[in-house]
Amino acid sequence: MSTEVKGRFGFGSFILFVLTVLGIVLALYRFATGIGSVANLNQGYPWGFWIGFDILAGIALAGGGFVIAAVVHIFGSEKYHALVRPAILTAFLGYLMFITGLLVDIGRPWMIWSMMINWQHESPMFEVGWCVMLYTTVLLFEFLPVVFEKYKMAGALKIWMNIMPLVAIVMLVFFAWLLSRSTQWTVVIAAVLVIFELAIRGGVLKRDPRVPTLLIMAGIIFSTLHQSSLGSLFLMVPHKLSMIWFSPILPVLFFISAVMAGMAMLIVESTLSSKFFRRGLELNILQGIGKGLSWVILIYLAVRVVDLAYRRVGSELLATSPQAVAFWIEIVIGLLIPLALLLTPQGVASGRGLFWAAIFVVIGLVVNRINVAVTGISGGSYPTYYPHWMEVAISVGIVSLGILAFLLICRNFPIFEKEHSHAASA
Amino acid sequence: MKALLIDTIRCTGCRSCQVACKEWNELPAEETSFFGGPGYQNPKDLSKNTWNLITFNEVKLNGRLKWIFGKKQCMHCLEPGCVSACPVGALEKTADGPVIYHKNICIGCRYCMLACPFQIPRFDFDSPNPYITKCRLCHDRQEMGEIPACAKACPTGAITFGEREDMVREAQRRIAENPDKYHHKVYGLEEAGGTCVLHISSVPFEEIGYITDIPNEPVCANVKPAMKAIPAVMLGAALILGASYKFRNRTRDEEPAAHG
Ligand code: SF4
Ligand code: SF4
Repeated sequence: MSTEVKGRFGFGSFILFVLTVLGIVLALYRFATGIGSVANLNQGYPWGFWIGFDILAGIALAGGGFVIAAVVHIFGSEKYHALVRPAILTAFLGYLMFITGLLVDIGRPWMIWSMMINWQHESPMFEVGWCVMLYTTVLLFEFLPVVFEKYKMAGALKIWMNIMPLVAIVMLVFFAWLLSRSTQWTVVIAAVLVIFELAIRGGVLKRDPRVPTLLIMAGIIFSTLHQSSLGSLFLMVPHKLSMIWFSPILPVLFFISAVMAGMAMLIVESTLSSKFFRRGLELNILQGIGKGLSWVILIYLAVRVVDLAYRRVGSELLATSPQAVAFWIEIVIGLLIPLALLLTPQGVASGRGLFWAAIFVVIGLVVNRINVAVTGISGGSYPTYYPHWMEVAISVGIVSLGILAFLLICRNFPIFEKEHSHAASA
Repeated sequence: MKALLIDTIRCTGCRSCQVACKEWNELPAEETSFFGGPGYQNPKDLSKNTWNLITFNEVKLNGRLKWIFGKKQCMHCLEPGCVSACPVGALEKTADGPVIYHKNICIGCRYCMLACPFQIPRFDFDSPNPYITKCRLCHDRQEMGEIPACAKACPTGAITFGEREDMVREAQRRIAENPDKYHHKVYGLEEAGGTCVLHISSVPFEEIGYITDIPNEPVCANVKPAMKAIPAVMLGAALILGASYKFRNRTRDEEPAAHG
C-alpha cells in the first residue's frame, strides 16, 4: 500500500516560497510590458534561456516518468515499482511547469489554442506542441488512481480501467493521422493497437490488473516522439547551429539523452525526498537504476563520438572558442565524471557516489540543451545573447513552485509506498 | 511565380523604395540615432516599422573607396524556412511568390526567426501583444494588378519586377554582357533552395553585408525526413512495446505489486 508521508516545511520551503513569489511578480511585469523588459533576447537571438532551460532541459529531465513506466509496466521489472508513482507525479508537475514556462516565453500565449485548429503537420514545433498536450493528459490519467485510492472510489477505478485503453487508442490514432495525413499509416497503427487490446480482453495476453497497458504504451510512444522532436526543432537551422551540435541525428541524440537524464532524475529525486520526508533510502533499487544509467551513458557517448567522427568535426572541438569549452563541460561533467563514479564500486555502494553521478548527469544535460538552443547558435551581427537575471529568476520561480506542489501533494496523497515493505525487501 | 531583381550597380542610394514601402504599408518613421558603422545608412536595421532597408557599404573597388548599396528585405524563398517552421501556419507561401503573414493566428513563438537563414522576421520585444513583421512583396498590390511599391518607386531601374524565370534570365544576361563590371553570381538563385528576390552586384556579396554561408538546399531539407519518420516510429514502438509486454508477462505473475 502507498501512504501519505510527513515532512516538515521549514526554512527551505520558505525560500522556495519567496522565489516563487518573485517569479510570479516578474512574470506579471513581463506580461504587462513585453518580453524585452525582462529578457536580453534580440532579433538575432530570438530564443534564449527559457527555451534551453525550461523547455528543452525541463522536458528531458521529466523523462523519468516514461522510463520507469516502461521498465515496470512493459518490461516487467517489479523491483522498481515503488518509484512509479513519485516519477509520474514529478513528470506531470514537470510538464505543467514546462507549459507555464512556454506561456511566459511565447509572445501571444493566449493564442496557444491556435495550434489545435491550424494544423501544420510538417512543423516540428507543431508536433512537439500536440505531443506534449497529449502526453500531459496521459500523465493526468496515469495519476488518477492515486486520487481514487485516497477517496476510496473503487467504482471510478473500475470505470477507469475499462475506458482508458480506448482513450489511449483514440489519442494515438488521431495523432498518427494528424502527423502523417495518410490513411494507410493510420489504419495500420489503429489495427495494431486494437488487436493488442482485443488480445488482452480476450485473455490471450495477461491483463495487468493495476493499470491499462495501452495507457502506459501511449505515454511511452508520445514521450519517444516529442523527446526526439525537440531535437528535430534544430534540424531547421543548419545555417545557424554550430557544427559541434548540428547533426542529422539530433532527434536520436535528444531521445537517448532524455532517457539518460530521466534516469538520473529518478536517483536525485528519490535521494532528496528520502531526506525531506525522513524515509529510508531504497538503495538497492537506486543501484539498479545506476547500473542502467551507466549503460545509457555509454551508449550516448558512443553515438556522439561516432556522429562527430562521421561528420568530421575535430578542430572545432580543440579551438579556444566558448563553444568548444561548453562542449567539453557537457562531455566531461555530464558524461565522463558520472561514468567514472558509477563504475567505482565504493561510490555506488554508499549511495553518495550514485547521487553525485546523477547530479552531474543532470547538470550535463542542462548544459547540453542550453548549448543547442543558445551557445551553439550564431546570431550573425547581433549582440551575443546572455540571459538577463530576470529571465533566470522567472524560470527559478517556476521550478520552485513545482517543488512546493510536489511536496504538498506527497503529504496529502498516497504517493510513496509504506516503508515497512522496503525494510522487508531490502 | 513572380520575383524582384535588384541590381546594386544601378542603385544610387536615394532610398525612394524605402520611403515608398513605408508609405504603402503605412509604417511610421523611425526615431533614429547615430550609430557606429556605415555612415549615411538610416536606420540601422530592419524593424517592425522598416521592412525594406537600403544598406550603405564602403567597399574598396579598383583601389578606390566606393559606396555600394544593398537592399535588405524578405527574400520570399521558394521553400521558406519560416513557413516550414511555423506551427500554426501564420506564415504562408502564396502561389504567386510572396510569403505573407496572418497576424491573428500567430502565437509569437519566434521559431520563424530562428529558421530564416536571411535573418529577416522581426519580433516586437517591447510590446505586450507582439507580432512578427517583414516584407510581404506587396501581396495586396499584386492582387490589384500592381507591382510592388519599391519597384514602382525606383527611379534608376535598380529594381525590376516580373516572372522569376525572366528575372533570372535578365540577371544572367546583364552579367554576361558586362562580365568585368559584375561579380559573377546571382544571389538568391540557389541560396536556401532559391528565392523570389534576386540580387546582382559588382563585388562579392559578403563585402556588402549579405549573409553568404547559406546552404543551397532548402532549410527544411533535414526536417522533412525526421517528420516523415513519425508514423513509422509510432508503429515500431507499438510493436516493440507490445512484444516486450507479452515476453515479460511471466515475471509479472510471480510478484505483482499492490497498485498501479
Ligand atoms: S527570407 Fe526568411 S522570412 Fe523571408 S521567406 Fe525566406 S525564410 Fe521566410
Ligand atoms: S512567431 Fe508566429 S509566425 Fe513566427 S513561427 Fe511562431 S507562430 Fe509562426
